[in-house]
Amino acid sequence: MILRENPVLIRELLVNLRSSRSFLLQLAYVVFLGVVVYFAWPAGEEATNQVSPGVSQRLFNLFFLGQFFLVALVAPTFAAGSITGEKERKTYELLLASPLEPSTILVGKLLSSSTYLVLLIISSLPLMILCFLLGGILLSEIARAYLVLILAAGTFGLISVACSSFFGRTSSALVVSYLVILPLALITVTVTQTDDVVLRDFVSIAVLPPWCIAIWVIVGLLINRRLLFPPDVGSEGKEVIDEEEEMKYAVGVVIDRELFPDMLFAPAKRTDLMPDGTNPVLDKELRSEIFSQGTLMLRLVIQVSMFLSIPLMAYLLFLRPELTGYYVGYVLMFNLLVGPVFSSGSITQERERKTLGLLLTTLLKPGTIVIAKLLASARVSTVLTFLLTEQLLLAYILIPELRDRWWTLLIFLSLIAATCVTTTTVGLLCSALSRRTAVAMVVTYLALLALFIGPVGLVWYLQGYTALSEERLASLTITSPFAAAMSIPIPSSDDGQPYTPSFLGSTALDLSIGSKTLSVPIWVAYLAMTPVIVVVLNVLTYLAFRWRWWRAGMSI
Amino acid sequence: MIEVRNFTKRYGDFVAVDDLSFSIGEGEIFGFIGPNGAGKSTTIRFLATLLRPSSGEGYIAGHSVVEDPMAVRKVIGFMPDDFGVYDGMKVWEFLDFFAVAYKIPRSSRKKIIAEVLELLDLTHKRDDYVNGLSKGMKQRLCLAKTLVHDPPVLILDEPASGLDPRARAEMKALLTELRSMGKTILVSSHILPELADFVTSIGIIERGKLLAAGSVQEIQRQLRAHRRLQIRILDSDLAHAEAILRADDKVRDITGYDHTLTAEVDGGDTEMARLLQHLIGSGVSVQSFAEVEMTLDEVFMTVTKGIVN
Ligand SMILES: Nc1ncnc2c1ncn2[C@@H]1O[C@H](COP(=O)(O)OP(=O)(O)OP(=O)(O)O)[C@@H](O)[C@H]1O
Ligand SMILES: [Mg+2]
Repeated sequence: MILRENPVLIRELLVNLRSSRSFLLQLAYVVFLGVVVYFAWPAGEEATNQVSPGVSQRLFNLFFLGQFFLVALVAPTFAAGSITGEKERKTYELLLASPLEPSTILVGKLLSSSTYLVLLIISSLPLMILCFLLGGILLSEIARAYLVLILAAGTFGLISVACSSFFGRTSSALVVSYLVILPLALITVTVTQTDDVVLRDFVSIAVLPPWCIAIWVIVGLLINRRLLFPPDVGSEGKEVIDEEEEMKYAVGVVIDRELFPDMLFAPAKRTDLMPDGTNPVLDKELRSEIFSQGTLMLRLVIQVSMFLSIPLMAYLLFLRPELTGYYVGYVLMFNLLVGPVFSSGSITQERERKTLGLLLTTLLKPGTIVIAKLLASARVSTVLTFLLTEQLLLAYILIPELRDRWWTLLIFLSLIAATCVTTTTVGLLCSALSRRTAVAMVVTYLALLALFIGPVGLVWYLQGYTALSEERLASLTITSPFAAAMSIPIPSSDDGQPYTPSFLGSTALDLSIGSKTLSVPIWVAYLAMTPVIVVVLNVLTYLAFRWRWWRAGMSI
Repeated sequence: MIEVRNFTKRYGDFVAVDDLSFSIGEGEIFGFIGPNGAGKSTTIRFLATLLRPSSGEGYIAGHSVVEDPMAVRKVIGFMPDDFGVYDGMKVWEFLDFFAVAYKIPRSSRKKIIAEVLELLDLTHKRDDYVNGLSKGMKQRLCLAKTLVHDPPVLILDEPASGLDPRARAEMKALLTELRSMGKTILVSSHILPELADFVTSIGIIERGKLLAAGSVQEIQRQLRAHRRLQIRILDSDLAHAEAILRADDKVRDITGYDHTLTAEVDGGDTEMARLLQHLIGSGVSVQSFAEVEMTLDEVFMTVTKGIVN
C-alpha cells in the first residue's frame, strides 16, 4: 500500500514528471554539466598524454560540490511545498479525511518530491564516468560521492517535508528548511571533502548513513504524528492565530511588540482607528499580517541564526579578526535567505488569498500599494538581519585591530543595508511578475544566487582558464555583496597583512575613464551600483504591478 | 447608471461572454440570473474594473470602465463571489482598512464603521478575528465593506450564497432599503425566486448570451413567445387530441392527467389560435383551452432548458 497503489505518489509523479518543464530542466542540467566538462577538458598536448590527477580531481570535486549544493538548494523547493501546497489549495483536509494512512501520504510526498532530484543526480553519472576515464580518480571515490548525494537528497527532502507539515505556508516551510539544511550541508561538505582520505571515507561510509537513517526515523515519526493528529484549525480549515495566546506557550525567544528591538519590525497592534494619511496597506502588513501565520517561523529563524552566529563570531571575529569579511558574509547569507520570504509573497499572496479584488477596487493608487509592500518587507528583513550585527559591534569595541579601523564597520554596515534593500526589491519584482508565491520565491532565490554568488563562483572558476587580468575578472563581481565584503582589507593580527580570499584574486577592479584607468575597490563599486539597481528594479516592479494587476488584470 | 455595450470576453478559443448589452437605470435593482458558468462573474468583474474585455465597453455613472477605472471605483461598491480576508485582523480593523483605502477621514470613520456593523448585524463580532468568522459572517462583513464609502452603485456577486434563510430575508430587506436610499444595485444569483420579489428588472444569461432583459413584466411579455397550455378535453377525444399535439412540431412536453393535457408551445398568440383551430377542425371536443400563468422560476427553467436542449 505504501509504495504500490499509493495514490498520492502516483498523482504527484504523474504531474511532476509529465510536465515538459521538468524534462527541459533535466536537459538544461545535463547540457550545463556537459559544457563545464567540455571547457574543463584538457586540450591539445595535455590530452594525448596521461593528464595529471590534479585536473580530473578538480573537475570531480567541482561536480560533487555543485551537485551537493544543488541538492541542498533544490530539495526544499520540491519538498517544502508538498504539504503546505495542499493546505494552500485547501485540499489538505480532503486528503486527511480520506482513509489514507499518514505513512502513505508521507512516503508519497517524500518519494514524489525526491524522485526528480535523484533522476537529476543520476543523469550526471555518465559525465562523472568521463572524469573517471581521465584517470586519477578511483571508482570507489565515485560510488562514495553518489552515496553521499543520495543520502543528502533523502535527508534534506525529509526535513523539508517535516517543515511543510508544521507550517501553513510554503514560504515559511521553505525558509525554515533552508535554515536547517544549509548548516547541515556545510558540515557534511567539510567532513566529506577533507584532504584526509581516511577520515573522509570513514565519515561517508561509517558515520553518515547511520546518522541519516536515525534522522529519517525520528523525523518520519514526527511527521506521522502530525498527520495523524492535525492541529485544530476551526470550521473554515484556517487556523486563527491569536498572538497573545501563542506567546504563552512559546519556547525560547519570545516576541513582544512593545519591546526593543521587536517593535522595530513588529509595531504594536492598533487599539484605535488609523490616523488620516496613513498608508493603510503598510499599516496592515506590519501590524496585522506579519504574524498572521504565527510567530513560530520568525522565532525559529531568530533562534537558529543567533545560535549559529556564536561559534562564527568566536572564530571569525575574535580569533582571526582579519576574517571579519566572512562574518559579514554570514550575515549577508542570512539576509539572502530571509529577505525574499517577506517580499516575494507580498503581491502573489493577495491574489492567492483572493483579497486582490477587494484591494484593487479601492481608491488606492498602484504606487501606494507597491511602496507599502516594499517598505513593510524591507523593514522586517532589515531589522532581522541587523540583529546579527550586534556581534560585529561588540567585536569592533573589544578588539584593538578592528577598533583602529572603525571606519570599516561603517562600510560593512552599509553593505549589509544595501543588500537588505536589494533582496527585498528583487523579491518584490518577482512577486509582481508571478502568479504564485512558490514560483516567485524560487525565482527570487535563483535571481539572487545569480547576482550574489554566481559571479564569485565564476571568477573562481575562470581564474585558471582565462587570459583576462584579475582586475578584469573582478569587475564581474560588482553585483556581489560577498565579494564586496571580502574586498575590505583588515590586517591580520599575526603579520599585519590584509587577508584576501583565494577565490577573489583581486579586490579591486579597473575602471577606465577616458584614457586614465582607475583602480576601484569592489565594495566601492558595489555600493555605487546598488542604488541604481534598486531604483531600476523598483520602477520595473511598479510598472509590472500596474500593468499586470492594477489596470484591469487578465483574471485574478 | 450602468451600461454594458457589446461586452465580449474570450479565454483562448472559449467565449465566456458573447456580445452582451444591457443597461440599468438609476435607482433600479437589477437581478442578474444564470446557471453555473453562464458568465455572470465575468461580466461583474468587468464592471468592477478587474477584468479586461476582449471587446466592448462598459459605463458606470457615465465613466468608462476601461478608460477611467479610478472614477468608476469611486462610485461602486463591489462584492466578489469568492473572496478572502486578511489574516491577523479584527473585524473593526478590516473595515477601518477599507475606509482608509477609500480615503474617508478619521473623524467620520468611527461613526460609519459602527453604522455598517449595526446594519449587517455584526456589532457583537466587532473584536473577533476576521479569518475566524463563519462563511455567512464573512459574506456580511464583505457587504459591510462595500458600504463604508457610501457608493451610489452596488455590484454584488451572489451576496446571498452561504447565508441562512433569516439572513437571506434580511439581505432582501437591506437591498430594498438601500434602493430606497437611491442606490443602483446589480445583484447576481442562480436562483430566480430569491430575487423575483424585490428586483425591479432582471437579465437572464446562459452560456455567455443574454436571453432576456428588462423589467419583470417586460420579460414575461418577451417570453410570451413561449407558453404553457392547459387543455381540457372530453374523455372520448383524449387520445385523438394527444396524437394531434404530438404530431405538431411547435408543441413539446405533453403530459396528460385526468381529462387535462398540459403542453409547452413555442410561439405566440397566432400559434395558439392555429392550434385551437386545428383541434376543433379535427373534431376534438375541447372543453377548455387556457394559457397557464407561469411563475418567474418556471419561465426561467423553460427558457434555459430550451437553450440546453
Ligand atoms: N480564467 C479563465 N480561463 C478560462 N475560462 C474561464 C476563466 N474564468 C472563467 N472561465 C469560464 O468562463 C465561463 C463563465 O464563468 P463565470 O465565472 O463568469 O460564470 P458564473 O456565471 O459566475 O458561474 P457561477 O454561477 O458558477 O459563479 C465559465 O465557463 C468558466 O469556465
Ligand atoms: Mg460566479
